[in-house]
Amino acid sequence: MEGKEENASEAAPLKLLGSWASSYTHRVQLALRLKGLEFEYAEEDLANKSDELLRLNPVYKKVPVLVHGGRALPESVIILQYLDDAWPERRPLLPADAFDRALARFWCHFADDKLGPAVGAVFTSTGEEQEAAVRQVHENLALVEAELREGAFKGRRFFGGDEVGLLDVVLGCGSYWLAVFEEVTGVRLVDADAFPLFHAWLRDFEALDEVRETIPAVDRLLEYARGVRHMLLGLAGAGGAGGAGADAPSSTAADAPTASPPPAAATATAADIAVDI
Amino acid sequence: MAGGNGELKLVGEWASPFVTRVKLLLHIKGLSYEYVEEDLRNKSELLLSSNPVHKSVPVLIHDGKPICESQIILQYIDEVYASTGPSLLPADPYERAVARFWTAYIDDKIATPWDRLFRAKTDEERAEAMKQLFTAVEALEGGFKESSKGKDFFGGDSVGYLDIIVGSLVSWVKATSVLAGAELINAAKMPLLAAWMERFCELDAAKAILQDVDALVEHGRMLMAKNAARASK
Repeated sequence: MEGKEENASEAAPLKLLGSWASSYTHRVQLALRLKGLEFEYAEEDLANKSDELLRLNPVYKKVPVLVHGGRALPESVIILQYLDDAWPERRPLLPADAFDRALARFWCHFADDKLGPAVGAVFTSTGEEQEAAVRQVHENLALVEAELREGAFKGRRFFGGDEVGLLDVVLGCGSYWLAVFEEVTGVRLVDADAFPLFHAWLRDFEALDEVRETIPAVDRLLEYARGVRHMLLGLAGAGGAGGAGADAPSSTAADAPTASPPPAAATATAADIAVDI
Repeated sequence: MAGGNGELKLVGEWASPFVTRVKLLLHIKGLSYEYVEEDLRNKSELLLSSNPVHKSVPVLIHDGKPICESQIILQYIDEVYASTGPSLLPADPYERAVARFWTAYIDDKIATPWDRLFRAKTDEERAEAMKQLFTAVEALEGGFKESSKGKDFFGGDSVGYLDIIVGSLVSWVKATSVLAGAELINAAKMPLLAAWMERFCELDAAKAILQDVDALVEHGRMLMAKNAARASK
């Protein structure tokens, strides 16, 4: 990680480099809001990354990057744990008990390693490949549902207990893509009947003030996802959604501002959001 | 905790560097435990019930409660046994983040091509994986510099989290170097890391725990042959 070595006291300013459609960025924004920490936000154009971002995160060149007292921290889950370590007195995200912490970390890793990529695969594929990806998502959701029903998180409103914690932030900032992808791809991902507890948790999570402040409006997400999927299908040569040239999103979004990644960046952009959950 | 008498049980497999990590830490902390060796081609009921999601090793069972995934296990041991033996993760929040960053880098950017190297079905796949692995390892020289700040170990004056994470790979580094016919941690390109590796190997824990390199070379050859043979059917 890059950055000058300074003493990052609690009072040192915080700056977050992020992207408006990145759920990894939302995780950090939400955590900062939950902890009541002020921060400066800098929007990155992922198709044209700033020198600052490339300097601060040379290994991955991705958002989010949190800069605190001149020192850069990349990787959302690492940033979230940093916030807990640096501000232990402010609304801890991790539970106090060591075994509970291990469980939270386990399911966070599951979210990023298994569930997220499966959801991303649904978004970037069609036909049989997509059907297999949907099955994978359902299998993964079933595991989480089981923990809510009779396992590690039984009887809890949130994964963190009565209040949201690390796992809520990690799973929650990204779960809104489920509804968006369902709309855009036409596949059913989170059936309220099949996953009642997960569904209820997500509804409660999305109702929180800090979450509403953080997650972009659904129509912006829909427009963005439609654009990316259109581009992906166009690049793959699939007939798909209209099969128009790879230089314009679907007509309904023609007047709307932003969210029209150039073709070359479509796959990279998709990778940035499509693996989110 | 009901009936807790502090019993530790580690479910593992001799070749797995992820298991090595846990063994190294338990040794450094001076903790005694029961070890259960798994045959991963014929997984035990104990493994399947304690890690139903991934069915993989290592699993640490503490007072009957399973903890899975090496990074999570290391942090758990460090937290629960904070007053036993040296502390592993640095105290400073930023340094902790640096340790977690490089661990994530190793488990993602290095482990992935490394795994692919042994599972490759063709010579081309193997060559590509080899190239990616060698490239990915080079970044660790910078990681060591950042973490050690001029001292002997990733953890500074004494062994820390990253020393265990990278240290757990040392026998595999040596075995892979034999199989590749080239040093994975090349002393000319990566002088700091090469020197660290020699230092690490002198530690009691390393001598007690790290796998025999010849055995890993044979194991690696077997894996590569098995996966290449599958492909030619």
